[in-house]
Amino acid sequence: MPSTREERVDDALQSLLERLIPPQFEDEAEALADQRWDEANELARDLIDREPEASIADDVQHAADSIKRRLLKDTRNPERAAAFGGLYSRLLAQPVLGQKWGILYFLDRVGEGENDGGRVGRVEGGRRVQGSGDGGEGGQEEVFDEAFARHGLPRVPQGLESPRQVPLRERAVPGRPKMQAQTPEVEVVGEQEPSSGKVEPSEAALLRDLPFTLQGLSSTNLAFSDKSSLTLPTSLPVPLIALLHALAEPSLLYRSLSDFVESSDGGLVGQSLRSAIGQELRSYLGLVATLEGQIRRALAQLDESLPRGGLGKAGVTLKRCVVWTREATLGLRLMSTIVESAKGKKGGELISLIHNLATSHGDTFVYVFAERLLSNITRPFYNMLRAWVYDGELEDPYTEFFVSSNPDFEDSGATSVWEHKYLLQEGMIPSIVTSDFAQRVYLIGKSLNFIRYGCHDGAWVESYSKDTSRELKYGDTANLSQSIDEAYKTVMARLIYLMETKFALAAHLSALKKYLLLGQGDFIALLMESLASNLDRPANSQYRHTLTAQLEHAIRNSNAQFDSSDVLRRLDARMLELSHGEIGWDVFTLEYRIDSPLDVIVSPWASKQYLKIFNFLWRVKRVEFALSTTWRRVQTGARGVLSAVGDKVGEDWKAARLGLAGMVHFVNQLQYYILFEVIEASWEGLQKTIASPASGTVTLDTLIEAHTAYLRSITRKGLLGGAGGVDFTAQLHELLKLMLSYRDVVDGLYSFSVAEFTRRQELAAKIENRTRAGRWGVAESEDLTMSESPLFPGPNRGTKGGADSPLPPLLLPLTTTTGAEGEKSMLDSLRQRLISLETDFKTRVNVLLGDLAYQPDVDMRFLGVVMNFNGVYAPVRRRRQQPQQQHHHHQQVARSERSAVGKEKVGEGKE
Amino acid sequence: MPAADDSKRKAARETIDILHEISTLLNTHLDRQSLSYCVSLIENGVNPEALAKVIQELRAQNERYEIERAETAAQ
Repeated sequence: MPSTREERVDDALQSLLERLIPPQFEDEAEALADQRWDEANELARDLIDREPEASIADDVQHAADSIKRRLLKDTRNPERAAAFGGLYSRLLAQPVLGQKWGILYFLDRVGEGENDGGRVGRVEGGRRVQGSGDGGEGGQEEVFDEAFARHGLPRVPQGLESPRQVPLRERAVPGRPKMQAQTPEVEVVGEQEPSSGKVEPSEAALLRDLPFTLQGLSSTNLAFSDKSSLTLPTSLPVPLIALLHALAEPSLLYRSLSDFVESSDGGLVGQSLRSAIGQELRSYLGLVATLEGQIRRALAQLDESLPRGGLGKAGVTLKRCVVWTREATLGLRLMSTIVESAKGKKGGELISLIHNLATSHGDTFVYVFAERLLSNITRPFYNMLRAWVYDGELEDPYTEFFVSSNPDFEDSGATSVWEHKYLLQEGMIPSIVTSDFAQRVYLIGKSLNFIRYGCHDGAWVESYSKDTSRELKYGDTANLSQSIDEAYKTVMARLIYLMETKFALAAHLSALKKYLLLGQGDFIALLMESLASNLDRPANSQYRHTLTAQLEHAIRNSNAQFDSSDVLRRLDARMLELSHGEIGWDVFTLEYRIDSPLDVIVSPWASKQYLKIFNFLWRVKRVEFALSTTWRRVQTGARGVLSAVGDKVGEDWKAARLGLAGMVHFVNQLQYYILFEVIEASWEGLQKTIASPASGTVTLDTLIEAHTAYLRSITRKGLLGGAGGVDFTAQLHELLKLMLSYRDVVDGLYSFSVAEFTRRQELAAKIENRTRAGRWGVAESEDLTMSESPLFPGPNRGTKGGADSPLPPLLLPLTTTTGAEGEKSMLDSLRQRLISLETDFKTRVNVLLGDLAYQPDVDMRFLGVVMNFNGVYAPVRRRRQQPQQQHHHHQQVARSERSAVGKEKVGEGKE
Repeated sequence: MPAADDSKRKAARETIDILHEISTLLNTHLDRQSLSYCVSLIENGVNPEALAKVIQELRAQNERYEIERAETAAQ
């Protein structure tokens, strides 16, 4: 039958009481029994009415656990716990019971009561009403269990003074609210607030302030006193302070990080770092927002009437916030370390820093975080890379790229564009790219720039960049290296193609060889012939236009006329700076003009080298030319004129001819060596390098290197270099000078002989005339005095002899003497001169050969051998120590004679 | 419906059995009938703590009376 709850309760209570209270005893007065009954009734009523609601959260599990715990403590019957476990699970399966937890809890309490009720319950019955948990070990156990309860103590222990509460405070079980720890603190602090147990400021207030704090904003309770510190209210218990400390860390970090994000110095990479950190901070703020939502919801459910506002029930406490923000705190900590170490760095260094974190740090969290940052940060870097690699333009407002433009650069031609405009900064190379990669990128950009400005082929660069430019990004290493390789090949190929075709590099190089290195023999011969007489005159009487006219003449009449006009246009005859006393031969030079961009390869240094070599070769050629003309004259004259005067000067002529022959041979060998052994061989090497270099692709750098090596080897092998302290140049110059003077002397001798011949002729003619005239012979006196040697030009004879002055100045004073004595003395002086020159020449050649024999280069040794193929010279090795020169010289002579015999072993000659 | 009632009664009996075993384990010294009264009380919303206290008080009272009786009997 339906009955109200009250009625049911009453009924049940009555029945219970009947059962519990023993019925009237035999000897008990009825009044007593009744009294008992009434007492009991009242008690029951009172209790039930007073506490209608349980003050503990209804949790079946909790009740069951506490039961189990108690059973476990009962070591006498351990199987009880297991049995209980089974029963509990069966109970849970029963659908009937609504208040399972209530039943269990009730049983639990009754069991407890039974356990310790026997000891103290009777005595302190009255006090029992007030509260449990005090007095006796059971009470302690109880408190312990309550302390460990997940939802905290059911009520604040009133007026506790037991020190055993203290150890509870130190427990740091996660998730446990601070309530139970807080309350003993209440006693310690001395605030006797037994009823409420609250502390100022309350946890609810702190929680309300927390979202603001986490964002770095000051709030009522937790104010930020300055940039980097947070003041905590002092009236809080220590554990609370500890938790607030933990929560303060992310807030302070957030503050400093947001300051960093707002600041705006540093380059592009720094800015991207800021934006990446800003993103992370935003996600942190999202977390704070969620937290705030939670807190707000929890605070809304707060019920003031419950002790401590029932915060535990709502599920959000300060400790929980600590746990929730822990991961974010780690992230913030990491970010602030990154920001610290990033101060003062920029560009590639910054990227290297973060990349280091990403790759070599052990913590996965750090690694993942750094990866995230990296993809953001490298974006400006890759932009710069892209612009550089595909456009050849450096878009680097904050100098963060590892290619930097040279601040000292002046736009002085293509050479500087190639060499000096851009520099590779090793320090700025980030560790995400290798050094080799960086080199390639540098080359590509440089070449693109060069093509655009040096070669004026900007159109190609535009089309190239339009076709192939593609987005580069981090993490795409394979793609990246592939695109860079492609770009490298394309650009280099284009550059070489331009060099070859548009600027005709090969044509110009071979033109240089033909003209400046005397490759075009017929042209040079013609030039020499036409210029020879001109250049004998002093330097200040040379005119440019005459030189140019001769040049043109030579070009037109030789095979050089078939060269392209561009090449011929660049060829020019020029005069070097003249100083006093020089003749034309010394100041003449050819010149080949090189424009940009070819002057990247044929650099100014290279041009100078070419001129030096030309100078040297030209001198040699001149000597050869001079000697051969004299030789020709002598030979032709030998048949006619000279034979007639053979009795007087025949010996001299023999010696002269020998000397001439030796010199001619020397010069020829030298020339052959230089032109063929040295120049041609090096040229071959250069061609081979241009066609197929060892390094794979032909780049502009390889071309430059090859060309420089070519010139250097020519200089060295061509006896122009000063390698090893042996200065061939001076020796050769001396030799050439000697040869020229020798030629002059021979010319003198020839003129002398011709004069003699003419004189004799005239004499013969005169004799003829006289004979015909009837007189025989000539008078003695006439014979002698009549002779006016044409070799002694009188004062009125100022023809070309004066300016010519082939005669050594020694002869001039002899003009005062007249007649046969003058002649004789002149002849003597000529003779002397001849001999001295020849011996001098021989000695010098010996020294040269001695030096040549010890050169490391096999070609130079070959020159020495070839020059001395018939062993006519005895090579002498020069010694460095002066005082021992005499002694060694004797030894030398002896040894060199021996070595001269065994000349085929050139490398021999141990001293 | 009688079948439903039957099953319900059976379930109730089972539950009481289980609870009795538990209470035995816990040494509550409650017999089956008392236990069932307590269960019904709790099901009706009585505070289990208070009920437990009632039980304990009553028992204590009983003991007091026992002692008194023993004393008076001894006299």
